[in-house]
Amino acid sequence: MLIPMLNAWGPESGFASISSFQVSLWGKYLTYAILAMSLNLLWGYTGLLCLCQSLFFALGGYMMGMYLMLMIGDRGAYKSTLPDFMVFLGYQELPIHWQPFYNFWFASAAVLWVPGLVALIFGFLAFRSRIKGVYFSILTQALTYAVCLLFFRNDFTFGGNNGFTDFKDILGVDLNAASTTRALYIASALLLLLTYLITSGLLASKFGKIQQAIRDSENRVLFSGYSTTSFKLVIFGLSAMIAGAAGALYVPQVGGINPSAMEATKSLEVVVWVAVGGRGTKWGPVIGAILVNLLKSYSTQAFPDYWLIIMGGLFVFVVLFMPDGIVGVYKQLKNRIAQKRSLQTATA
Amino acid sequence: MISTHRLLSIRSLIRYAQLLFCGILLSTSASAVERSARLVLSELILSDKSNQTELIEEISNYGDLIIAEIYQAWRTGGVYTLASNEDTRLIHFNSQQEWTLLATGEVLSLSEAEIESLEKERASRAMRKAMKGIIDTLGLKAAESSVRIDSAIKMGRSQKPEFVEPLEARLEIEPSAEVQRAIREALAISLLANGDQAQVLGAVEELTVLKSIAARGFIEKILKGEEAASRGESAIAQASKKALRTIEEHIRMLEFFGSFFRGFSTGSVLLIVSFGLAITFGLMGIINMAHGEFVAIGGYTTFMVQNFFINTWGIGSSAFGWYFVVSLPLSFIVAGGIGLLLEKSVIRFLYRRPLESLLCTWGISMIMQQGFRLIFGAANVQVNNPTWLMGNLSFGGFNMSYTRLFIMLIALVVVIMTWFLLRKTNLGLHIRAVMQNRSMASSLGIPVARVNSMTFALGCGLAALGGAVLSQIGNVGPLMGQAYIVDSFMVVVIGSVGNLLGAGLSAMGIGLVDQLLQPSLGPVMGKITVFFVIILFLQWRPGGLFPTRSRSLDD
Repeated sequence: MLIPMLNAWGPESGFASISSFQVSLWGKYLTYAILAMSLNLLWGYTGLLCLCQSLFFALGGYMMGMYLMLMIGDRGAYKSTLPDFMVFLGYQELPIHWQPFYNFWFASAAVLWVPGLVALIFGFLAFRSRIKGVYFSILTQALTYAVCLLFFRNDFTFGGNNGFTDFKDILGVDLNAASTTRALYIASALLLLLTYLITSGLLASKFGKIQQAIRDSENRVLFSGYSTTSFKLVIFGLSAMIAGAAGALYVPQVGGINPSAMEATKSLEVVVWVAVGGRGTKWGPVIGAILVNLLKSYSTQAFPDYWLIIMGGLFVFVVLFMPDGIVGVYKQLKNRIAQKRSLQTATA
Repeated sequence: MISTHRLLSIRSLIRYAQLLFCGILLSTSASAVERSARLVLSELILSDKSNQTELIEEISNYGDLIIAEIYQAWRTGGVYTLASNEDTRLIHFNSQQEWTLLATGEVLSLSEAEIESLEKERASRAMRKAMKGIIDTLGLKAAESSVRIDSAIKMGRSQKPEFVEPLEARLEIEPSAEVQRAIREALAISLLANGDQAQVLGAVEELTVLKSIAARGFIEKILKGEEAASRGESAIAQASKKALRTIEEHIRMLEFFGSFFRGFSTGSVLLIVSFGLAITFGLMGIINMAHGEFVAIGGYTTFMVQNFFINTWGIGSSAFGWYFVVSLPLSFIVAGGIGLLLEKSVIRFLYRRPLESLLCTWGISMIMQQGFRLIFGAANVQVNNPTWLMGNLSFGGFNMSYTRLFIMLIALVVVIMTWFLLRKTNLGLHIRAVMQNRSMASSLGIPVARVNSMTFALGCGLAALGGAVLSQIGNVGPLMGQAYIVDSFMVVVIGSVGNLLGAGLSAMGIGLVDQLLQPSLGPVMGKITVFFVIILFLQWRPGGLFPTRSRSLDD
């Protein structure tokens, strides 16, 4: 439990010397880490390779974005109470489904229930017809693709191509103030911690045991009299809600969201973070998400032409030679320590 | 045609093809004239009054659109005389900003001094008057029936009374039934404006029979005129209403068939691409996320072959048309080779680990995408259609482009070849054996490793074939395969994994539903609807169209 504390609070402790930009950058990485953890819950522990995790992330982001858009008020480029893109598209009044988003708490609730509901409906249809393994992955990818196309449309009332941007306030405080950035960072860290607690709590519970049994042999669980469909549905919904919450924290820290955040490749990136860090390990996804993103930021600047090749090569390497990710390598190298640690976490 | 070719030099052939590419079809009249239109025209421009009438008479027999181009230049001062020691030559400053010899079309490189000495030729007023009629009706005499049809309809739509006479004259000698029909349509449209009451009524009835889409606006105008004059129940008004109903029904039918046709051709591309995927994914259990990049390899191979042909034989040469024929097998071979390499180096470690194969091949797809960007640039590259694939097959007012027809043909060939390969050859037998039970096949002495490599190469080759075909109707760029990859996966899932008949049917089905929904829902909503239809379909048949029957539980 010491490592997560250090990991989450490390950049925080050196805060005085770190600029707000750095703080929000690390805050962004933390939300990515939460996203990776939510996927790990599905893929690592339940064996469902979901390729629509970034969709849930973006949905959560959009819900929070709607609130933030309304908080701009009449300070937009068109000096209207409507969001700029609506004025631009000729809307006379706020669409009805936008109305409740003036309320922060409604928006926060929507951050959870909208992705959760999408996951439940889709999961119900998919799990009911016993779609599993690769087919589940492909269908989730297609879902992402379809919704992404929908969000790219201007008449879908979510800003089309440009999405949401130019946020000003959150809960009445300036979004760009250093204190807000810090608060958002702390919120992200807390959510990370909460996700960790949920994950480990689940794993220790009977529910988590069945969850892992589904991963290892779904049919045996089925024959033992458990409805795997319901278990998978619950975990899918939960994972979607966590991803949505991560997205809601991501949007104010990055200052905008657009449909490219839910492109199919974004979901694959999340999968890669988990794979690099270590699938089915508690901290692997966090390490993977942060390391891969650090490498991405570094190589996009240092070798703009080659970073895709570097990243691609890394994935091939990880899949071929590090099936358990970075955490797995550590285990291999220091087997005894790793064993001790896993014992500790299991008892914790 | 042969006589013109003899006169044209290679460089003018390039221009010739460029003009063709712009959709302007050049050709000489089919009638028995020996001299090229350019030659006669240049004589006409240089002629004095004595033989002008004769030459105008002669030029009026030609249907070559170059006459219009040169006449336009002549009128606006783009034709010059270049006096040299030997004789006077006419120079035409053409639309490509080149100096060409008017009589042959040969591109000249003029020195500064020569350009200085050029003198403008201007058409006289009498000449302009005489030429105007010829130019306006030029298209009616073109060798291409499609040009004749277009020109007739255009003349009809102008409703100018002076066109009635040339149209009627042409109708008498016109050999093609289709063009005759167009001329009748044009005459009727023209009558709508110029005829008396009885003639208008006759014309409206004629247009009803012809189901003339071009006439719709004009008939609507007639109907409005009748209603404005409170003769809403007159014979003309009623006939017009009937005509409009018939025409609109006809348009709807054409649109429906158009969607149907486009659906089949989209389905064909999808079929070629997803057959490759059905083989790697369905038969081998490898989820090849780089499949789209193999599609792009096909597109880029076509691009390279095209450039090779242009550099070697020139864009206007008759050899250029063959580039596409060469590029089809070549893209198959190139992608197959790369696929083989990939299988040997990476993929063979991933059998029985489908989810890992997804990640790994996605990494490969990123590398390949960036590779394309580095080699060919991030922008799309230009792949020209060979001339023999341009144009349409017209059928009762309904156009089918040769490109799309050709794609369907290729898809059919792919289906037959794949079926033959899998069912009638040794390799096919091995592939099916390995697919059913890898370890059993291995213990029966089937070289599993080799079969795997060959199968993967085959799948990649088919993807590239799809890409080569796609280069004719879409863009060739680093991301060209991405648009098809999701659809292709859907095709494989719907058609039952590993079942090629299912893949074929579902490719056609998805292509059709997509295109049939598009007119009413738009492309994006159409795609989304298709996706939800697929999800619902899988509720009904979770295993796809033709689920594999197996006693094993965890398949």
